[in-house]
Amino acid sequence: MTNTASSIEQSVLIAPAVYEAATATIRAEAARLLSEGSVAAVIGYVPGRRAGTAMPAVVTDAEAAQQLVFSPACVNNLTLFLTKAKKEVRKKGRLAIVAKGCDLKALAGLIGESQLKREEIVVIGVVCAGVYGAAADRRAPLSSASLARKCRECSVHVPEGVDLLAGTLPELPRLDPLEAAELARLEAMTPAERWAFWKEQFSRCVRCLACRQVCPFCYCEQCLCDRNRPQAVESTPRPAGNTAWHIVRAMHLAGRCAGCAECERVCPMDIPLNLLNRKMAKELKALYGHEAGLEPKEKGPLAEYREDDDQSFIK
Amino acid sequence: MHAEKVNHDFEPKIIAFVCTWCTYAGADLAGTSRMQYPANVRVVKFPCTGRIDPVFILRAFQKGADGVLVSGCHPGDCHYMAGNFHARRRFAAFRGLLDFVGVDLQRLQFSWVSAAEGGKWVEVVTDLTERVRQLGPMREFKELEQEECWSGALAAADLQEAYEAIP
Ligand code: SF4
Ligand code: SF4
Ligand code: SF4
Repeated sequence: MTNTASSIEQSVLIAPAVYEAATATIRAEAARLLSEGSVAAVIGYVPGRRAGTAMPAVVTDAEAAQQLVFSPACVNNLTLFLTKAKKEVRKKGRLAIVAKGCDLKALAGLIGESQLKREEIVVIGVVCAGVYGAAADRRAPLSSASLARKCRECSVHVPEGVDLLAGTLPELPRLDPLEAAELARLEAMTPAERWAFWKEQFSRCVRCLACRQVCPFCYCEQCLCDRNRPQAVESTPRPAGNTAWHIVRAMHLAGRCAGCAECERVCPMDIPLNLLNRKMAKELKALYGHEAGLEPKEKGPLAEYREDDDQSFIK
Repeated sequence: MHAEKVNHDFEPKIIAFVCTWCTYAGADLAGTSRMQYPANVRVVKFPCTGRIDPVFILRAFQKGADGVLVSGCHPGDCHYMAGNFHARRRFAAFRGLLDFVGVDLQRLQFSWVSAAEGGKWVEVVTDLTERVRQLGPMREFKELEQEECWSGALAAADLQEAYEAIP
């Protein structure tokens, strides 16, 4: 149970050329947007200090746009920079953002929740063949062994509904979906076995709250889990408080989570948070036919109702 | 009208989260009509089922409840028009989540009890109490409460390796 995609099949290389092509387009488009003044800043990725890394950057002049990159190291969901949590970025003015397909789902979710308006931003969609998993060897080129788990079952390699599109999709290897298999494995367990599984997972949590800080949907100015008068969720990293925290987190993101797996990526304790997210997504699809997509929806499944919703569990 | 008092080995603690407009009034009616029901239930009233946060249910289990009942107005009777419709969706999703982390859903009951249904209140409370009595005490959350710290178990091989490499 780790973020590392396990090498069950022979590791297959993923063509690096596609990232270079995307980088060139991003640079050119960012420079154009900035110099013609149609945006005040572009949120994108620049190379990190260590080889094989990249970090988010808010670029404000056309010259600096030449530093923008897109590579398998561009793991972050930049949508986070458009939320209330990063007010200083929004204050700059009209923004352009580089977005992979999975990040775009978060953007659609935020628009649906009235956190921003579609016409306020320029979306530079990037065709994405995958990014590195958490424990990948970044000196080696991207392969099916170092691919992030979410990318193995990605359905949005080519983002839709964007203003500009960078890159073209190469032929991709067919990979076994690990997360779906893991979810099925858990679902087949007895409740007692599942409790034991999660107890073990949650007990490792150190409550660093990185999972919350990185999530584009955790933009509440006061988190319920930080309140101590009255205290709803114990903040000490003890098993009881941890379990409550994870249940509350999954519940608050139910029907909202875009499945970008950022929470799982940043978790220092390797807790498979995306399994919880996926389970909730599956539940809400089964119950109310809701799925996170690239089109903003006015209301999430838990913000609306139908008079004839299922109530077979109510006496 | 006093029922025989029966001694059981285990008396379940049941917490009932109810809305003030329907179920609370229904429970009140049961009381004023002198209907008998298990004294195991502690009633906490809320303005509306829409106010009942899933975190309250967790808190109840953590603080020693063996069973939880959430009850409000029938669909269409909500004092605030749609509070119970929203609650219905939220609790449907919450049940899925609890089941996934391994909580026995038999300990959690949702119901609609109107102000006129004193009899139904008695029935729901009795059913849940007896069911939980059969299941025995809810141990999972209580055990968690007692655990002070991290289990020390490292599930991932690479974490274990990194841990062992610490001089
Ligand atoms: S999930 Fe898809 S769009 Fe997202 S990083 Fe992976 S391959 Fe790219
Ligand atoms: S990032 Fe991981 S360790 Fe930190 S609070 Fe979240 S689940 Fe716990
Ligand atoms: S909960 Fe995790 S996967 Fe879902 S949107 Fe937030 S960071 Fe992304």
